[in-house]
Amino acid sequence: MAFFLQNAWLIPFWPLLASALITLTPIRRIAMASAWLATGLMMIATVMALGLLAAVANGWALHDGQLVQLAVHHGEHGAFAFPEPNVVQRFVWAPTGETALQMGIYIDGAAAAMLAMVTIASTCIHLFSIGYMAAHPRQSRFFSFIALFTAAMLLMSMADNLLLFFMAWEVMGLCSYLLIGFLYERPSAARAAVKAFITTRVGDVLLLLGIVYLYAQAGGISFGQDEHGIFFPPLLERLARETGVLGLSHAAGIALLLFAGTVGKSAQFPLHVWLPDAMEGPTPVSALIHAATMVAAGVFLVARTFPIFTADPTSLGVVAFIGAFTALFAATIAVAQFDIKRILAYSTLSQLGFMVAALGVGGWVAAMFHLITHAFFKALLFLGSGSIIHAMEQQPSIRQIHHYDEYAAQQTAQDIRNMGGLRTRLPWTFWTYTAGYLALAGIVPFAGFWSKDEILLDAFKHNIAVYVTLSVAAFLTAVYMTRQWWLVFFGEYRGAQPVVFVNPDAPVSEHGHHRDHHHDDHHEHGEHWHEDPRMIAPLVILASFALTAGLLNLPFDLPFGHWLATLWGQEAAKLDPLVAGLSLIIALAGIAVGWYGYRQAFTSATDTDPLAARAPGLFTLLNAKYYIDELYAATLGQLTASLAAAWSLLDRAVIDRLIDGIGRFTFGLGKVNFIIDDTLLNDGPDGLASGTQGSGRQVRRLQTGKAQDYLIYVFGGLLALAMFWLYVIGR
Amino acid sequence: MNLPEYLIPAADGVPWLTLLMLSPLVGIALIGLAWLIRLNERIVKVGVLAWTGVPLLLAIMIWMRFDPQAVAGGQGAVQLVERIPWIQAVQVDYFLGIDGLSLPLVLLTVVMTPLAIIASWGVQERLRAHLALLLLLEAAMLGYFVALDFFFFFICWEFSLVPAFFLIQGWGREQRRYAAFKFFVYTMAGSLGMLLLFQLIYLAMRQVGMPTFDLIALGRLGQGLAVAGVEGTLRDILFAYMDQLGVTDVLGRYPMLYSSIAMWAIFIAFAIKLAVWPFHTWLPDAYAEGPTAASILLSAVMSKMGAYGMLRLLLPFTPDAAQYFAPVLAALAVVGVVAGAFGALSQVNGDIKRLIGYTSINHMGYVMLAIAGAAAAGEAGIDARASAINGALVQMVAHGLSTGALFYLAGVLYERTGRWELSGLGGLRASAPTFAGVMGIALFANLGLPGLAGFVGEFFIFRGAWATLPLFTALAVIGLVVTALALLLMFQRIFLGPAIGTPRTIADLRAPEFWSIVPILSLSLLIGVYPGPLINLGNAAAGQLVAIFARAFS
Repeated sequence: MAFFLQNAWLIPFWPLLASALITLTPIRRIAMASAWLATGLMMIATVMALGLLAAVANGWALHDGQLVQLAVHHGEHGAFAFPEPNVVQRFVWAPTGETALQMGIYIDGAAAAMLAMVTIASTCIHLFSIGYMAAHPRQSRFFSFIALFTAAMLLMSMADNLLLFFMAWEVMGLCSYLLIGFLYERPSAARAAVKAFITTRVGDVLLLLGIVYLYAQAGGISFGQDEHGIFFPPLLERLARETGVLGLSHAAGIALLLFAGTVGKSAQFPLHVWLPDAMEGPTPVSALIHAATMVAAGVFLVARTFPIFTADPTSLGVVAFIGAFTALFAATIAVAQFDIKRILAYSTLSQLGFMVAALGVGGWVAAMFHLITHAFFKALLFLGSGSIIHAMEQQPSIRQIHHYDEYAAQQTAQDIRNMGGLRTRLPWTFWTYTAGYLALAGIVPFAGFWSKDEILLDAFKHNIAVYVTLSVAAFLTAVYMTRQWWLVFFGEYRGAQPVVFVNPDAPVSEHGHHRDHHHDDHHEHGEHWHEDPRMIAPLVILASFALTAGLLNLPFDLPFGHWLATLWGQEAAKLDPLVAGLSLIIALAGIAVGWYGYRQAFTSATDTDPLAARAPGLFTLLNAKYYIDELYAATLGQLTASLAAAWSLLDRAVIDRLIDGIGRFTFGLGKVNFIIDDTLLNDGPDGLASGTQGSGRQVRRLQTGKAQDYLIYVFGGLLALAMFWLYVIGR
Repeated sequence: MNLPEYLIPAADGVPWLTLLMLSPLVGIALIGLAWLIRLNERIVKVGVLAWTGVPLLLAIMIWMRFDPQAVAGGQGAVQLVERIPWIQAVQVDYFLGIDGLSLPLVLLTVVMTPLAIIASWGVQERLRAHLALLLLLEAAMLGYFVALDFFFFFICWEFSLVPAFFLIQGWGREQRRYAAFKFFVYTMAGSLGMLLLFQLIYLAMRQVGMPTFDLIALGRLGQGLAVAGVEGTLRDILFAYMDQLGVTDVLGRYPMLYSSIAMWAIFIAFAIKLAVWPFHTWLPDAYAEGPTAASILLSAVMSKMGAYGMLRLLLPFTPDAAQYFAPVLAALAVVGVVAGAFGALSQVNGDIKRLIGYTSINHMGYVMLAIAGAAAAGEAGIDARASAINGALVQMVAHGLSTGALFYLAGVLYERTGRWELSGLGGLRASAPTFAGVMGIALFANLGLPGLAGFVGEFFIFRGAWATLPLFTALAVIGLVVTALALLLMFQRIFLGPAIGTPRTIADLRAPEFWSIVPILSLSLLIGVYPGPLINLGNAAAGQLVAIFARAFS
């Protein structure tokens, strides 16, 4: 036990080592060696994280290097508080005047659970990528990036202060940039990568301000409830009492700035726009970053700093509102999308909204519980979609497009209108995907039911408006997931005559004629369906979690009930039959509506969506994501471009003109001075000048202009003025 | 000569700082010798590069002899002091010393000069003169950072312009003459006020019986610390002298007025060098038009001369005025931060060197913000203010490393593509993956990615400045976003997308190019991951410097 506690810092070290080895050594030349190196080290990290979780769950802790047993902490009713940490290791990172900033790791139940979740999900994703990326020429680089990404996420989970947390958080942002733009030949991928980095950076800089605000107020940024920590109760009480800016208390101001980081990273409204575009990255990336881990980091940030939020409930109201709004808003968009990954992306936004809303109504355990179950089943769904896309891309109709436009082929392969009937063609994928689907829809006994129910219960108890909003969102979740599941797996396969994606970036190509002929070829080759076992294995592992992860925190007083709540030292929630029953009914109703609406839709890929047939205006609005991207481009984008132009103009047309004007004026004075010198004072220095001319000719060879002549006047004038001061005024 | 306790000579009696300053000059002599015996240019290049190791080694020796914790008489102890009477008629001493504020910049100078030499590898015309000017520039900058008597300090300040001017003028691009001239005259004209101020200070000091150009003694007087043989603070001494001259009858009997005038005289001189808005327009021209080596040294080291001057002169000499005008300085800093960022953004289809130049304006804006934040009135204690100064020092080093690397890589890119314009490039990552990777690291170091040095500087600057100037600090983060956007778009224009630009492919970094940039980026990574040793150099001195602001003026 002591081993796992003592060496917890090694958990992020392994993937970091993998990344460094792949980047810096010739291992990168052998794709399979890189892949298995990264995966193998990730497995070691997983074992260590599970060992650490076991140690923490059994109450073991390190105090001054000695193994001790902590008393079991049950959350009391009332103010939120963290239990005592199991491991805290710190060292001086930088001096700050008379004090010093310490860095280190801080492991408690929440960190241990995050570490276990991230390592398991990441290992599955590594395994899946071995199959998925097998054909890609830059496979080694891919593994280097996802390993670095995982290392940053793990480091963030165990950070002992907000600075380290932020540093790891930003490194994840970097990896996200690199991975979204992994297929950098595509202009769309390059654009999406920049968009993701910049949009999240807007949140990040506000988060940075929140951290320095807290630093200024608290004199430190280390986690902990002792007098050096930021959760020291008297400190929080003071922060909530004293007023800062805009009539907000310090606590509310800090909390809202921190929350801005969450809005960026967890893609909450209004900074959600980057996440759907981020689907440009390879599918395992979507699973790793945009479902299981990175976007969850935002939720974890609020969870980590929760005492600051509870100190002043004003901030919690904002959190609840943004979360609930995003949950509903994103769910409505997901109903009208055709891209399988984008549906999942909007679903991710919506589910993150659930978690954020849960935190907003004080449901810390519910949010963290949902974070963990969601990570498993959403990673499953994304990887499942990867398996589907991978299979679709092998089909003759898509391969035809691939000849002239790789990007269009991929986008066409992701369109659910072009799928259908895959239940029998991809059976493993179908069954595992179904597990993920039922978990997301919230059907008992799948994992999502338990965690979502706990969120709804907290909302029901504390904020009925949030409860209603989330219930509608839950209903829509069941609708859009049923729509997707049905269109992908049931009915007839429609991909032989696909809706072909029109690539706006495609260069006018001499191969354009393929577009016209591609229908003729597919009969010759026929369909060919294949599921790669390296991709199926992780799906099965994740599907088992999607089925069983609810056991982690069952709302019953069984021996293993409330396990997570106990681990986290929080109050355990009891099952409320009314809320649970309602939530199940809502989910079933959503499934029924989805099935009824789409049971006969799309006999061919070019058919109209039933919703579009009923309400074309609404469908277009939802399909266009409420035109928010266009709105931002027209306002913020234009503003930025105009400001850049304006600043540039100011420099050139105003400031530079002024400077040049002053310069010309000085030249004028210099000329006057020259005339005076030349006529009145020339005789004396002539002898001296002839001596210097020799060296002057040498110097003149070095350069061509006459600037130095003018400079001599300036310098001479300066000297004259100085002499005047010294000997005339000074006397 | 008897030295007060805050001036500590070298224990071993070796004039380390003089050796440091002279070593590049010896290099120039060696180039002359090589020219006399008609040595092959290639050997000269290698020889000069090797010779830049001498100041580097000396600086490391100095670093090892330096005790960063030493504090005496209310200031960080000045160490390795050399003091010899020089021009006795005007009480000028040859006075060198180093403390926590100057040592990081000395180290930066000696680290960046080899890179500048390497960047000159491809220079075809008058190579020896080019290399000699670079060494001359190094000597002048080192002299500036270690000089503690205004006379020598100012000579180095002005003299550093000469090699820079000739470098831009002689080896620059099309607009080089305009750029060089603007750069030279602007900086020189700006320091006029400061020069006059020091004549005045000298005379005022003469009235109280201690005529001096000693920057340490004057700084101590400014901060109200004890100096043997003189009573009163610099403000009172100046005011008394003004009174005696009768100036107070005209302008009024406000002591603050005269220290304010003094502060602005100092500020303008250094603000031009630091490219604080609106004194910044020389910078994009000078950086863009100069040869790569000049761009590297100008951006990486020379712009820091301005910030160092503010720390050495402005804060200690006129703390009251600095505190009073801190919001104004901060406002200029923030405008510069935003202007630099948007200026860079306006160049994403334009000139790569100009773009990097504008990001320098943005980054130096943070340094200015830190200095203002350290001085501004407010409840903040020593920790916050010292953090601002620490952050400024780290930011200077970090910006030197990352911008130097970016200019170097821009030069390498030009050698391959033959163009400075970003439009018309694209997709070069496929043919030059290592180049793209290295450029990416330099770029992320520049935009302040955690784990690289730039972030450490920015974090501590924000941490310190927020405590006294939260509004300006909050506005300054706009620059963080927009600079990142500009740099990422730059990267996108060059490397990403389909390879349809001209040229379609380029050669990847060659081993010598790669290995010359690796040490710079490794240093950035090292500082970013563990900045303790670097911050430790200046922390004690910074804490003492800001103590007067933390105590606040009545």
